[in-house]
Amino acid sequence: MAYSDKVVDHYNHPRNVGTLDKNAAEVGTGLVGAPECGDVMRLQIRVNPETQVIEEAKFKTFGCGSAIASSSLATEWIRGRTVDDALAIRNTDIVKELSLPPVKIHCSVLAEDAIRAAIGDWRKKNGVADAAPGSAAK
Amino acid sequence: MLKVVDTAVPLACWSCSVAHNESTLFCPHCSKIQPPSGGDYFSVFGLQPNLNLDLAALEREFHRLSRKLHPDRFARAGESEKQWSLADTALLNDAYRTLKDPLRRTEYLLKLQGAEIGESSAAGAGPARGGEGKGGNRKDPSRVPADLLEKVFDLNMQIEEMRMAKKMGREDPELRESLGKAKEKFDALVAAVDRDLRAQWQVWDAGDAAAREPALRAMAALLDRRRYLGNVVRDVSEILGV
Repeated sequence: MAYSDKVVDHYNHPRNVGTLDKNAAEVGTGLVGAPECGDVMRLQIRVNPETQVIEEAKFKTFGCGSAIASSSLATEWIRGRTVDDALAIRNTDIVKELSLPPVKIHCSVLAEDAIRAAIGDWRKKNGVADAAPGSAAK
Repeated sequence: MLKVVDTAVPLACWSCSVAHNESTLFCPHCSKIQPPSGGDYFSVFGLQPNLNLDLAALEREFHRLSRKLHPDRFARAGESEKQWSLADTALLNDAYRTLKDPLRRTEYLLKLQGAEIGESSAAGAGPARGGEGKGGNRKDPSRVPADLLEKVFDLNMQIEEMRMAKKMGREDPELRESLGKAKEKFDALVAAVDRDLRAQWQVWDAGDAAAREPALRAMAALLDRRRYLGNVVRDVSEILGV
């Protein structure tokens, strides 16, 4: 199966690969896996406590080209968004952008799960309740 | 006469018109080849869908049927029979490849039973899982425990470090030793999953309907674990050259 040009581009030039300090209060970490293929993905965000804007996003993915491209794209998309905006990203948006074939849809699901897990971790750390747009962090 | 096991409507042989079970490749009455059956892979071999299989018997039956189906034997036969010998051979090959492998066999049974399972099976038989990801139909994330993900991720990081070192022409004995130890641990985890899987096979094969449902769920979870473990064990073996 041929990868789309965008997948190849993200695969060859992955954006935002790396690690943030997972013990830092403003950092949220999401570690998720795809049981279909055994891929694992870690996505981390650094959130500005004042504005709730994701100022930095890093990922590390062990898996196929589509999984790497999906997480690379996810970090690009969430950077500069508030956490609530980032939660609006759907895996189908990633599928469309990267032209993923049906057998690779689960890679995009993995990326969406990773965003949610990272934000969930950050919220838990900071005692921020779910679904409270605009409310300030404690 | 022939027992019709579980098909509601027995099919009639195209040649002699005697009714037979749909899962047979040859008419039990006149021995003529039949079109590919609508039955499952187990029925191709005349088996019940059980997970403990006599692999030696399976292999013998595979060779016997392969010979009987060989296209050379149908050189003088009608056009339909020629086509069926090819189609039946393909079906037989798929069935054998799937059933002889313990993990693929388990995966296949889960698919027959409609459980959520992995991508690898989509490459062989059955439709791709295209409908997924449109919103619902999400897998329960708790099926794979977080501690396993963490272990798998950490080992992957070490493997990558080793790969980099190798690329630079450096050999880090400490890293190699640490990876060797990790491999032993992961081999043990794989062995434990395989043991647990076989225990569930027994439950399934015993045939108690009430026990089968939880056994299917347990097998699906074990196969998930097995996929994560299988990938890193393969990679760590490769990098260590063992």
